[in-house]
Amino acid sequence: MALQDFDRIETPENVELELPLAGIGSRFIAGLIDTLILGGTLLVLGVALLLFGGLSFDGIAENVSVDGWIVAVASVVLFVVYWGYFWGFEATMNGQTPGKRIMRVRVVKEGGAAIGFVDCAVRNLLRVVDGLGAYSVAGAFMFVSKRGQRLGDLAAGTLVVSEQSTDYSAQTDKRVVQLWEVEASANALRVTGLSPEEFRALTSYWLRRDQLSLEARNRVLPRLLEPVLQRAGRSASGMAILALEAEVEHLITRANVGQADGKTAP
Amino acid sequence: MTPARFLETREPAWSRVAALLDKTKARGTHALSEEELHGLTRLYPAIAVDVARARALHLDPRTQQRLNLLAIRAHGLLYRKEKVPVWSSLWRFFAQDYPRLFRRLGGFVALAVTLFVVTAVGTYATVVMHPTTAYVFVPGPIDSIDGQDGLSGKDMSDRFRRMARPPMAAGIMTNNISVAFNAFALGITFGLGTCYLLLYNGMMLGGFAAHFANHGLQFSFWTFILPHGALEIFAILLAAAAGLRLGLSLAVPGALTRSASLRAGARDAVFLVLGTVPMFVVAGMVEGFITPSDLPGVPKLILGLTLLALTLLWLLLAGRSPRSQLP
Repeated sequence: MALQDFDRIETPENVELELPLAGIGSRFIAGLIDTLILGGTLLVLGVALLLFGGLSFDGIAENVSVDGWIVAVASVVLFVVYWGYFWGFEATMNGQTPGKRIMRVRVVKEGGAAIGFVDCAVRNLLRVVDGLGAYSVAGAFMFVSKRGQRLGDLAAGTLVVSEQSTDYSAQTDKRVVQLWEVEASANALRVTGLSPEEFRALTSYWLRRDQLSLEARNRVLPRLLEPVLQRAGRSASGMAILALEAEVEHLITRANVGQADGKTAP
Repeated sequence: MTPARFLETREPAWSRVAALLDKTKARGTHALSEEELHGLTRLYPAIAVDVARARALHLDPRTQQRLNLLAIRAHGLLYRKEKVPVWSSLWRFFAQDYPRLFRRLGGFVALAVTLFVVTAVGTYATVVMHPTTAYVFVPGPIDSIDGQDGLSGKDMSDRFRRMARPPMAAGIMTNNISVAFNAFALGITFGLGTCYLLLYNGMMLGGFAAHFANHGLQFSFWTFILPHGALEIFAILLAAAAGLRLGLSLAVPGALTRSASLRAGARDAVFLVLGTVPMFVVAGMVEGFITPSDLPGVPKLILGLTLLALTLLWLLLAGRSPRSQLP
């Protein structure tokens, strides 16, 4: 089961990277924020335009009043804001608008490179069509297309990726390092009698048990341990969670010892 | 190399890249000094290799994800098109790229012009033969200005003379550019939306022209439309040609896959429509300041046709010699 969609890209270094795609929810909220900002700005400008415009259109023809020029400038500004909001922000803020910034999503080229001025033009001029029916056209295409692309994205060859990744910038946990190194050792598996998958599952559980709720621990661990215990002629049912975790710790310690005994470098 | 050793020796590089990447969050590579940027370009290939090594060593998923993300972010930052100076690329665009694009997409322009002209002429003929059909296109009240029945050329221009000019020029300009952008975007409906726009506007022009002609006001009408309209209608037709390019790339992909064809079509089309913006600015100025002015009709007409002729000369002749006009 995937918690997130990925697009696989190959870099010029011949390494395959996984591009985490932004979910439809974050994109929708980002769009909502942007629409509110844009709508508010247009409303203020529009009201100002009407106030000044009302004055100047009542006035008589030939004297081109100061008001007239203000209205002219305001209507050009209105136009530029309306068409240029998404385009300008995405082109200058490396694929982000204020809404996308808040939701930590970003527009990139398919393949992960930064977008350019023309890509922005294509995907945002087509917003006219994507935006029909409160973005229902965009929504339909995002569901149907493989990588969550709306029409503008398909035409411009762009993707919206997620940059929500708080955990990964943390230093790698030293315990994790040791345990995964243990996993690589055939000796450790021989000593404990675990399959590699079981070992991996149990280690993951062991490292994360502090972050799991008691309910989750109770639900997960018996299922993980049941086959292991059954091979030893025992059963996980009826055992308290702490007793089960003691079993896990015991297994992992034995694996560590097995590793130290074997000393086989992977 | 054992996983522990790998992590230990590579960690400093990863932290360094992460720190550099954090700096670029808001302003991209501009936030880095030259030295830092060089550092990043040297570190990035090593990070990409680390992703592969971490995978081969079956390191824990968290480390793999962290490295993947570092590599993705650095990749996105470093692999991009070369940035060209804005002014020289604008100059190059209008001096050679745009005229060349126009000539390459000449077929689409011809298609748009044909659709528009045929519709306009057809509507014109219909309305001249059956004058009452004009009211399908022309709002009734236009005939009775100031409570007087009947249409006169003077009323027409008086009306516009009464409006303040700068806002009119600005309003017309922005409205027309919006229409052009829409003509492009509607092309995504396999070109049908663009065709609708072409036929609709063709009928409007033909209908109005015939209505005025029926009242013996051809000259007033054309001196009112053409000074700005010659260039403006031409620019709208270019935008429609862009929409048709987009629509046909989707409908008839040829040897390409449909999405690749759409992408190529969209690129051509967006350039074609962006190049019309200055034309609309010029036409809007004329429409706001010169069309409603007190100048006699003939100079106005000459001005409008000259603007169109110059535009056509530019589109047909500029950028013919290879690599020309590069400053």
